[in-house]
Amino acid sequence: MTMRMVTMLLAGLLALPLAAEAQKPIKVGFPMILSGPGALFGAPALKGAEMYVEELNAKGGVLGRKIELVPRDTKGSADEAVRVSRELILKENVDFLVGTLTSAEGPAVSVVAKENKVVFIAPIPKTDQLTAKDKLHPYVFRTAANTTMEGRSAAEIVAKWPVTRIGTISPDYAYGQDVTRSFVEHLKKIKPSVQIVDQQWPKLGEADYTPFINAQMAKKPEAVFSSLWGGHFVTFVKQAKPLGYFDAIKYNMMAVAEAGSPESTKAMGADYPVGIWANTYDAFYWAETPAHRDYTARLAKFTKDEYPSSWAIQGYTGMQFLAEAIKKAGSTESDKVSRALLGLTIDTPAGKQTIREKDHQADRGQLYGKTVKDPKYPFPILKPVEYVDPTKFMD
Amino acid sequence: MLRRVPWPLLVFAAALFVPALGSRFYTFVANDIVIWALFATSLNLLVGYTGLVSFGHAAYFGIGAYTTGILMKKAGLAFLLAFPAAGLVTATFALVFGFFCVRLTRIYFAMLTLAFAQIVWAICFKWNEVTGGEQGMPEIPYPDFDWVERVSGILPFLGGYRTSEYFYFVTVVLVAACFWILRRIVGSPFGRMLTTIRENPERAEFIGVNVRRYELAAFVLAGTFAGLAGGLFGIFNRGVFPDFAYWTKSAEVLIMTLLGGMGTFFGPGVGAVALILLNQQIVSYTEYWPLILGTILVVLLFAFPGGIAGTAQGFARWIGRRLGRA
Repeated sequence: MTMRMVTMLLAGLLALPLAAEAQKPIKVGFPMILSGPGALFGAPALKGAEMYVEELNAKGGVLGRKIELVPRDTKGSADEAVRVSRELILKENVDFLVGTLTSAEGPAVSVVAKENKVVFIAPIPKTDQLTAKDKLHPYVFRTAANTTMEGRSAAEIVAKWPVTRIGTISPDYAYGQDVTRSFVEHLKKIKPSVQIVDQQWPKLGEADYTPFINAQMAKKPEAVFSSLWGGHFVTFVKQAKPLGYFDAIKYNMMAVAEAGSPESTKAMGADYPVGIWANTYDAFYWAETPAHRDYTARLAKFTKDEYPSSWAIQGYTGMQFLAEAIKKAGSTESDKVSRALLGLTIDTPAGKQTIREKDHQADRGQLYGKTVKDPKYPFPILKPVEYVDPTKFMD
Repeated sequence: MLRRVPWPLLVFAAALFVPALGSRFYTFVANDIVIWALFATSLNLLVGYTGLVSFGHAAYFGIGAYTTGILMKKAGLAFLLAFPAAGLVTATFALVFGFFCVRLTRIYFAMLTLAFAQIVWAICFKWNEVTGGEQGMPEIPYPDFDWVERVSGILPFLGGYRTSEYFYFVTVVLVAACFWILRRIVGSPFGRMLTTIRENPERAEFIGVNVRRYELAAFVLAGTFAGLAGGLFGIFNRGVFPDFAYWTKSAEVLIMTLLGGMGTFFGPGVGAVALILLNQQIVSYTEYWPLILGTILVVLLFAFPGGIAGTAQGFARWIGRRLGRA
């Protein structure tokens, strides 16, 4: 009798720290640009992640444990991203990393993840380098589109246009070069009759696009592919419009790099070259599925914004992949979660998505459409807006 | 009394002791501080000792980092060769840039150093084939520490640490050596001459000193040590990025130097400790760090006009006088 009591007591004592362990939150480091111009995209991505975590925790979390998000400002620089990621791992003892925005931050933090054996999910960086064969390791995953997917999606659409003389204008650095190369190569493959008549490479952050615009118009392209993003696209448009650039190409422009996001069209207002084609990660007016409509409504409430951000979904989906993988693995151990992520399919607000085993890349497509004015909104929208599924033409 | 304590040796010994505390995070922060301390002290050779305010010191930090990075990652060279190469290459660049810079004075000198630094940054940012462009070069290998394991059979106290901790020991020893050399330089007749130039360049010219040549020498030395700091930082940071040469890094190191006190040899090192710890604490509490950090810096610069080290020195002297009188 006493023996059994002692055993039970002992077992109870042993179980105590275990139970306490189970109650400890799962810590997820979230390095993201939260200051400076990049915060325009980074801050909403964090909001999306926060919304997912809040909803998940309200439902009891995962494996009976709550998730705690630990955000850090990367200040938009790769070495600061490395510094905060190492601090998150060494000081905050985070179990996972989800985050980074630029194509410089992603691969830099990937090295930290590899050396510390911490699963790292990149929800925004697009560079192919991040998951290239020689850089791939068991702990890095991407839930963003990559430059190959984005360039080829755009090529699929442009190939259907009745044009053959194509021009390109892209910022002269890694992202612009990679996405333009993918676009050109894929377009030539699926529509051999096209001719690339002109390629302009303004430097990133160019203040005067006039020479590039004039040179391009002189070559008389029938359609143009652009990968100028954010404020660079705004500057370009403001200078191109008065020169009659868009009339010359009959608004046959494919502007990738989220030039069609509600944020961009909102920011440019009346200046927007309505009639061009553009892409975005998400659009609150894309009422394709009940799941997406529901997500948009929740996000609008969470962010107190009638027209919620299109970047939030990237933070949301990144966290969703992580939580589902933890659930599938039944553990928070890096190796188990990393294996659970391989081939994992989840229902995101944008539909089913899978992380491929081959290159740890999710089949994340983007929304494409022609920009039109809609009396319902004070800014242009994409209509009809179409989700381009990249599965068919991913490497 | 206080003066007889061998402070530098004590700090050196304490620094070597950090990994033994068992926290990887402390080692990480200490490593960051040690490298930045060397970077800031190298700038002080120009700002504090020669009176030349450089707004582009990050250029040499960046060149050093890229040199070591490219040699170790792409050419597979050993650290033993790649590290001195960082100093050598940086010295060459500093000689060329400095040749033009020292021809100008005051604000024009500052602007030209900034211009050269921005050129270096632009090259690092654009030259994809060599520097990796905007994405930089992640994954610079650590130096090879396999030999330690072999040696640890004979000298057991050496073994049993992680690679990052071995690298920390190497950093501390190398930086200490650099500090010793820098100290000898500023204490030498050459160093005294730099101070003379700072105080009165016309007068120095009149007594037959070739001011420009001395300034150029100081410029090259400062660049060289910044390059060595950069070489270490690239490995410590696990990657080299164009931001290393960006003007914000030049500003950061200038703030460290001013905050710590440019009138003293160890001031910039103290500034590095203060700024890194402040930054690291504030960033982990709020995303509005620029506001808070800016406010604290303004207050500190007003409260300690001679920098932290300058004020501390003044305070120690005051105590000494009080004790002497009593």
